[in-house]
Amino acid sequence: MTTIPRPASPSKRIELNSVVATIQDRFQGSVSLSKADAGVALSVTVSEVDSLPRLSKLLFWDLGCSFGGLVVEEIQGNWRLSYLFLAPESGWIEVILQASSSTASVPSISSEVHAADWHEREAEDLFGLRFEGHPRLGDFILHDQVWPEGAAPHRKLHRKSMDVHQAHFRHRPNPDWRPLLVVQDPGSFAMPVGPVYEGGLGQSVHFLLETVGEDVVRAVPRLFYNFRAVEKIAEGGRVSDVLLLAERFAATSSFAHSLAFCHTIERMSGVEVPARARHLRLLLAELERLRHHAGAIAGICESTALAVAASQAAIIEERLLRASSQLTGHRYLFGLNEPGGLRRDFANEDFGDLLTSVDRALGDLQVLEKRLYFTSSFLDRLEDVGIVDPDKARDLNFEGPVGRASGRCNDLRRECPYGAYGQYKFEVPREFEGDGYARLRVLFQEAYQSGGLIHQAAERLQPGPVAARCEPPPSGVALGWSEAPIGAALHWVRLDGSGLVERYRVMTPSFNNWLGFRVAVEDFAFQDFPIILATFGLSATECDR
Amino acid sequence: MSFWFWHGIQKGVYTTRYPKAIESAPGVSPGRPVATVFPSPMEASLAVANCPVDAIKAQGNSARVDLRRCIHCQRCRFGGSHLLEWRADFEWTAVPAEVEKYEVLPHAYDHSLHIMVVDAGDCGACLHEVKQLNNPFYNMHRLGMFFTATPRAADVLLVVGPVSENMRVPLLKTYEAMPDPKRVVAVGVCAITGGVFGRTFMSAGGAASVVPVNLEIPGDPPPPLAILHGLLVVTGRKAPVQSESLLERSA
Amino acid sequence: MDMWIGDALVLFFVLCAIGLVLSAVTRGRYPLRVLVGCSAACSILMMAAAAIALVSGHSFEATLWHLDGLGTLTMRLDMLSAIFLFTAGLVYLPASLFVRNLAEARRERRHSIHGYGVLHFALMASVVLILTANDAPLFLISWECMSILCYFLMNYEHEKETDARAGYIMLAMSEAGFLAVVLAFSIAGREASDWSFPALQIAGTQLSGGAVWSVFLLGFLGFGVKAGLVPVNFWLPRCYTAAPPTFIPVLAGITLNLGFYGILRLDADLVSPHGFGTGLFALVTGSVTALVGILYATTDNDLKTMLAHSSIENAGIIVAGIGASLVFRASGHGIAAAIALTAALYHMVNHSVYKTLLFQGAGDIEAATGTREMDRLGGLAHFLPALSVVFLVGCLSISAVPPFNGFVSEWLTLQALLRSAVLLSPAVKILFALCGATLALTAALAVTCFVKVYAMSFLGIRRGEWDLRGRKKETRPRFALTYLAIACLLLGILPTYVIPALNRAVEPLVGASATASLVPSFFTATPENQQLPPAFLQDFHNLGAQTGRNVLPGRGMVVLARGSEQNPVIFAMSPFYGFLALAVFLLVTWIFVTRATGKRRLVRNELWAGGIPRLLPEMTYTATGFSNPVRVVFQAIFRPNIAEDTRETVAVHFRTAILRRREETHLVDRLFFHPVGDAISWCARLLAGMHHGRLNAYIAYTIAFLMIILLLFRLS
Repeated sequence: MTTIPRPASPSKRIELNSVVATIQDRFQGSVSLSKADAGVALSVTVSEVDSLPRLSKLLFWDLGCSFGGLVVEEIQGNWRLSYLFLAPESGWIEVILQASSSTASVPSISSEVHAADWHEREAEDLFGLRFEGHPRLGDFILHDQVWPEGAAPHRKLHRKSMDVHQAHFRHRPNPDWRPLLVVQDPGSFAMPVGPVYEGGLGQSVHFLLETVGEDVVRAVPRLFYNFRAVEKIAEGGRVSDVLLLAERFAATSSFAHSLAFCHTIERMSGVEVPARARHLRLLLAELERLRHHAGAIAGICESTALAVAASQAAIIEERLLRASSQLTGHRYLFGLNEPGGLRRDFANEDFGDLLTSVDRALGDLQVLEKRLYFTSSFLDRLEDVGIVDPDKARDLNFEGPVGRASGRCNDLRRECPYGAYGQYKFEVPREFEGDGYARLRVLFQEAYQSGGLIHQAAERLQPGPVAARCEPPPSGVALGWSEAPIGAALHWVRLDGSGLVERYRVMTPSFNNWLGFRVAVEDFAFQDFPIILATFGLSATECDR
Repeated sequence: MSFWFWHGIQKGVYTTRYPKAIESAPGVSPGRPVATVFPSPMEASLAVANCPVDAIKAQGNSARVDLRRCIHCQRCRFGGSHLLEWRADFEWTAVPAEVEKYEVLPHAYDHSLHIMVVDAGDCGACLHEVKQLNNPFYNMHRLGMFFTATPRAADVLLVVGPVSENMRVPLLKTYEAMPDPKRVVAVGVCAITGGVFGRTFMSAGGAASVVPVNLEIPGDPPPPLAILHGLLVVTGRKAPVQSESLLERSA
Repeated sequence: MDMWIGDALVLFFVLCAIGLVLSAVTRGRYPLRVLVGCSAACSILMMAAAAIALVSGHSFEATLWHLDGLGTLTMRLDMLSAIFLFTAGLVYLPASLFVRNLAEARRERRHSIHGYGVLHFALMASVVLILTANDAPLFLISWECMSILCYFLMNYEHEKETDARAGYIMLAMSEAGFLAVVLAFSIAGREASDWSFPALQIAGTQLSGGAVWSVFLLGFLGFGVKAGLVPVNFWLPRCYTAAPPTFIPVLAGITLNLGFYGILRLDADLVSPHGFGTGLFALVTGSVTALVGILYATTDNDLKTMLAHSSIENAGIIVAGIGASLVFRASGHGIAAAIALTAALYHMVNHSVYKTLLFQGAGDIEAATGTREMDRLGGLAHFLPALSVVFLVGCLSISAVPPFNGFVSEWLTLQALLRSAVLLSPAVKILFALCGATLALTAALAVTCFVKVYAMSFLGIRRGEWDLRGRKKETRPRFALTYLAIACLLLGILPTYVIPALNRAVEPLVGASATASLVPSFFTATPENQQLPPAFLQDFHNLGAQTGRNVLPGRGMVVLARGSEQNPVIFAMSPFYGFLALAVFLLVTWIFVTRATGKRRLVRNELWAGGIPRLLPEMTYTATGFSNPVRVVFQAIFRPNIAEDTRETVAVHFRTAILRRREETHLVDRLFFHPVGDAISWCARLLAGMHHGRLNAYIAYTIAFLMIILLLFRLS
């Protein structure tokens, strides 16, 4: 096993002042800076379009920020692009590019910031905005075999309630469509997996594993089979209805997403969430994380066909689901968050049952972990398999436990604390090998940390109101975030002048991680592919929205 | 490796006794709203306002629930006024409105049912609940039900999700690849009426637009026991619920 | 009896001559008909002559003409020659029918059928002369004629550059081999009275150990060129690939066997070895050849090249059997030697039959689709159903699957090698064990190889761009291929009739009878079975192995192999009963299935591929992918140079093309051909230093050379 040397120190905190100084120094005249609020710490407006790639490179590589996402908005016919960067422990930096409606293309930053690749492709597919210098636009969300080029359904001129067979989107499957194959060896072939695979128990993703026999040479997943245009459905909706969408587009992280959405509304209206609600939200979010990680561990055991361990982990998960349902009335914690706090309160006795369940789950997890580490046939499938080394993890901006297993410091609970996380003591586990075993260890450690946080939250609960009255203002824009079990989730909401949602943008951790998934799979054998997939624990439906 | 054998034996049996006995452990089902009688028709119509998806209809004094539209947001359960009663059960499988009667599979399939699942835009919750059927608590193998990897060997197709446009063709191909006799079950409210996604340019609004549906299991998501009940209905070991007694159909 | 053999041979030569003249002279459609007809008749005559000789046990002798200085040229058809002659006739019959493919060339008026006809008959005559030669000059003259005629036939389609080069290599190697053989004969016959084979045989018993070794090595490697042994076989894959499709069956089925004939004649018959060093050398060389051949066959994707490497593999097996028999004979274990030699001869016959079938099938595939690359084939079973059935028979035979013929000869070879337990020296026993293990490995790899061949060519979906241009589905198989397939089956299920025939040649060479130990007569009188324990006989009777005792001719349908005296176990196998059981089983299953599912409706639907719109050919397994594990496991032998070339745009992140180029040098080329070639070039470069053009130096060279010669004359 090769040892990856640990970096000397974790990511340094970057002072915003130094960022401001550096930017002003290098980009005099082409940018203007301002301190912002509503979630964003610093706004950089780019006036000279061509300096955008250099600015992105500066932020990402030189200053060490990570890339959050790209928000494309069509405001009264003009384009407004927001590139979101996270300066570690300092806050979000928004790089704004405004372009008129006649602009056909905008320079692409993907050659500098590879993590922006898919964000730009999505914008091109859904808005029709070209990114100059991006070599692979098209056939991303709107699959070429079904959709004609240039559909751009997210433009304002298309309505969401349009029926499938309406004239604007009349489309036929393209019978001559062929996938783009990269490996040119005469004996190479592309093994198709999906979109219906594993008996349908896997979420719908299509892989073409290009190979010459044993090793996978290239594996790029084809996603967006589950694309339901959540962002478009939200346009023109009431906040309470969009909250439902935020909860339900990715159910296994539903509490975290609804939390991020509520944060945007609370920020917009300037409401302070009461203390009891903050602690309760933390407790419920950690309960979701604990349950999600138990499920991910069950998935890893199942992929290696270690049946007893998979069943035991599934028992832990089912108990946590039942405990969630017993406490809140829903197994997946739907219907709890609302802007301003929680919709309901809980009696203190209810927490006794919950804590018993959590303790039992933690005990079972510890036993399971210990025995898994002694099962060498299981470890053989995980160790040194699906390696993502720290450089690639940084380059492709891996989120969540997957990134932390390759040495990244990317936990939003630490980098950008929200809710009550600033007051709690907890560790963020990191590993550096980046293989499947490291990811498994990170999952276990995070589960234990979540258990500890649940206990701390239960102790800190004081009687009090569980929601503050929050009326969303007629207009406003804000960024909200939370650390979902898979990674950092960002929600961006803009209200039009009448309190309805004008633009709802969701940047999910699965979207970022699926982009980089291929580096873990390539150059490993076919048989390792399902195991690597399980150790990543990604959700296709969260990516697809 | 013998550790795992002893560990498993030591842990004991967790499996539910359903369908021999109704399972009533806490947390197995979120329950569902039932028709509630209010003191006056005006209060009943106030109860209607609680629901964001128009699943509650007022009929005189009582507010009735169309379970085919209910997304389990629990806004009629707490956090508001004029709340409805909820019942903790899980046997919800019903026959769709367009279908006269459910035709049961031949007897050979009673204890040997092979299931194919298609994720057609599902949020993940319904699929996750379907996967839980294999865990020791529910253990569908004891009832003779198995997941297959290929539709060629499948008898029943479970569709989860509102059928996103990109999954329309794969779902159709899966259905066509299944040999007769076959049945289709729409699991979850998204597969029945489209849920919160409805019918848009990217979502077909339910599986019935794409494949003929024989049974529906409402819920968002239906708990594993509800899905298990649905599978028992497929084989005829249990009867689907009658609409007049438990569910309402919207016009 | 003798007269009939003589008549058959005379008639054969006469027909050859007629055919030769007619194909040179006639016009229009006649040359082709003459070619096919005369050639078929000649091959039937060959088989007839050989069959009569084998059945009656009589040899035939005739004196040809007398040449001054070389002695009298005589002909003799003894048992060994008869077996090879029969095999040659067996292959020449379908080979003659395949010549009809030439009709296409004739239509395009590119190549001349007249030339082909002349060469064809001349080659046939020279092959028969080689096989029946009874003295060294006739043998060597016909051998040389055969080599040159092969070269001309190779270059029949001489426009293709690669063909010309391949033919040249073949000619060069043939000549080198011929020189070695001439030297071998010279050394063998130094003390002999004249050059006839009986005289050489007598002289051979008095040769010293060193002379025997040099005769053996020169002969072995010289004949090994034609037989395809490592390290002199590097011409074989190139030439078999480049040979025109009408000539390939002759190359693979007949001239290959001539190499074995030469080895047997020289090293087993004329100059028999004293110790077992030579036999071990042959055994080891054979095993190594087999392994190298099958490794390259498994990883090659061109149909013909793969079949050429497979021929090398089979040649290795045959030579290993011959080597084992030489070792056993030298140690005095006659029966074991007999079994080994029987196995080798049986394998030779089998190989000729199924290799011809496979090569012709490959030729048909190429004619139908225009490509030989297995990566570009696929789905042919739908278009060429008849060909797929006979090709499957060929693949099963070569993979040694019962009840076909490959199984019997492989079984016998391995049984013979197992007999090494009777040998005394532990080192030899270990060597035998290693070679046995190697041959078992080659058998396993052969199965992999031919599963790949059949599956990638005929099954699955079409991967290439070819189309069959509106050809009708071929429902009736071609006669020649059917004939070969049936021959494969018959040779497989009737070993108890073939082994006694082969024994006629084996017995004189090793001095013991293979038939008595392999095919004891269950059918005929019981007193001959005294060697077998009565309990065993009783079991056999109860199993029904003696059914048909009074009806079927011969000694029974079961082949036995017995262990040594220390370990008297009996292995028995009967492909015939196995075939019957298989047929019955299949019939019963078919009846059961049709009755049980008769009421069900069969619906054909599209292939399930996970829900994608269409399964594209790029998405199915290729031949390269199938054989990749073998390539990876044996990487130390292949030593490929893999260069990966990635093309990307804009940034490393966006790759547009990945090209992996794999360059391999054949093991034999790497270890033998290139070093030898480099050494020769080095010497040549050194000598080139002498060509500086100065006249004075040349005069000095000449004078020096003269002086040296005068000195030598003075001294001797």
